[in-house]
Amino acid sequence: MNAAYEFVTGPLAWLAWGIFLLGSAFRLASMYQLAKAKDAPSLAFMSWSYSLRSIVNWLIPFNALGWRKSPAMTVATFVFHICLLVAPIFLVAHVMLWDQFFGVSYVTIPDSVTDILTLVVIGACLFFAGRRFLQPDVRYLTTGKDWLALVIVLAPFLTGFLAYHQLLDYDLMVILHVVAGEIMLAAIPFTRLSHMVFAVFTRAYMGSEFGGVRHARDW
Amino acid sequence: MKRTLPLLLLAALSLACVQAAFSQQDMKVLAPAALGKLTRPAAQFNHDPHNEKAKLDDCVICHHGGADGKQDKSVSTEGTPCADCHKVKSVGKNTGLQRAYHKQCIDCHKAKGKGPVACGQCHKR
Ligand code: HEC
Ligand code: HEC
Ligand code: HEC
Ligand code: HEC
Repeated sequence: MNAAYEFVTGPLAWLAWGIFLLGSAFRLASMYQLAKAKDAPSLAFMSWSYSLRSIVNWLIPFNALGWRKSPAMTVATFVFHICLLVAPIFLVAHVMLWDQFFGVSYVTIPDSVTDILTLVVIGACLFFAGRRFLQPDVRYLTTGKDWLALVIVLAPFLTGFLAYHQLLDYDLMVILHVVAGEIMLAAIPFTRLSHMVFAVFTRAYMGSEFGGVRHARDW
Repeated sequence: MKRTLPLLLLAALSLACVQAAFSQQDMKVLAPAALGKLTRPAAQFNHDPHNEKAKLDDCVICHHGGADGKQDKSVSTEGTPCADCHKVKSVGKNTGLQRAYHKQCIDCHKAKGKGPVACGQCHKR
């Protein structure tokens, strides 16, 4: 157990963070090169104000037309993404590990609250899965890559919940939890999860084109 | 009845004394009053059996002395609660109480490759 724990919280953790950070930088750089080669004029149109206008407007729930079309999906999307980020970043145990390994410490959220946030993430994952199964148009567009992204995100939250409550084999569950989190980090640049890195640029691109070229709103 | 009450009190008192003197033998978990209401299950720590199994004969390995921000490993302080020297809220460079426990326990388990290192192995539900 100790050797396995040392390995997954040591070398494997460095590897996962390395793949996440360097991989993301690489994907962004190559996307920029591609844009420059294939669509150089669009880069000239990139504008800070139109970019920010689009980003801000899409960040407001039900503001963009796209959000108003399917209210349930909109609520699930916003709640899911907020909990997805807040729960792991401000979790007592995670902050404690930052402190243990690097001596850095910051505010935390009580375990009773993060417990609920975790259940919300798991619930939202099930909602997204149900939607992919049951809604014909979404089902038609769904590929294996979508399922993969969903499973990769669900895994660390499910195993984290089971480990915290010490359900099933604890020793196995913490190891699985750490590995699942590392898989998620490493998968961000190379799967559907890359929208975490690309989303702002996608919006900036759309916002600039609609604002500067078509003189229209893109939300 | 008149005589049984004082006797009972005396018995209770002596039991309490014995308990205090040998309490580390019965110590199964750590729940120092200084930490107040715990947010996690109290950490497993079966004092004497732990130290026997881990072959820790020298009390000073854990019960060190020191003051004014300097640890003194030549003075042993068994019987003095960690909380007497490690405040719950760490002041300046002094190690806070929770950190003191975690550092002492986990660092050794890591170094020895044996003993609990993950949260739930100590804070057992
Ligand atoms: C692995 C670390 C460790 C070692 C080695 C160790 N102790 Fe302790 N001992 C503790 C901890 C932790 C406590 C609890 C102190 C606290 O929480 O404030 C404690 C508490 C005690 C107490 C107080 C009991 C009570 O109920 O308050 C006594 C007495 C004691 N130890 C004696 C000894 C003696 C004698 C030795 C050497 C033979 C020894 N200890 C070795 C960790 C250790
Ligand atoms: C007589 C006072 C005293 C007692 C009792 C005491 N300590 Fe300490 N301890 C110190 C001082 C002084 C330092 C050095 C300054 C600091 O880090 O707070 C220290 C340092 C530490 C450190 C940091 C060492 C490092 O390498 O950075 C740990 C961990 C620690 N103590 C754990 C404990 C534990 C656990 C107990 C109870 C079993 C305990 N201490 C009891 C005074 C004490
Ligand atoms: C100086 C080294 C050292 C320190 C300090 C230490 N331990 Fe240990 N501990 C060990 C070793 C070695 C083992 C493994 C014993 C074995 O299984 O052979 C162990 C095992 C344990 C176990 C498992 C016991 C069992 O029966 O399997 C627990 C629980 C534990 N330690 C709790 C603690 C706590 C809590 C503290 C801090 C108060 C602590 N330990 C401090 C060395 C240490
Ligand atoms: C080697 C055993 C050990 C491990 C591993 C360990 N702890 Fe502790 N922890 C302790 C001891 C001893 C205390 C002080 C006494 C107590 O609270 O039972 C403590 C105290 C705490 C406290 C403050 C008291 C409370 O319950 O509010 C928290 C919070 C805590 N630990 C969380 C964690 C988390 C999160 C992890 C994993 C990242 C962890 N611990 C790993 C031994 C351990």
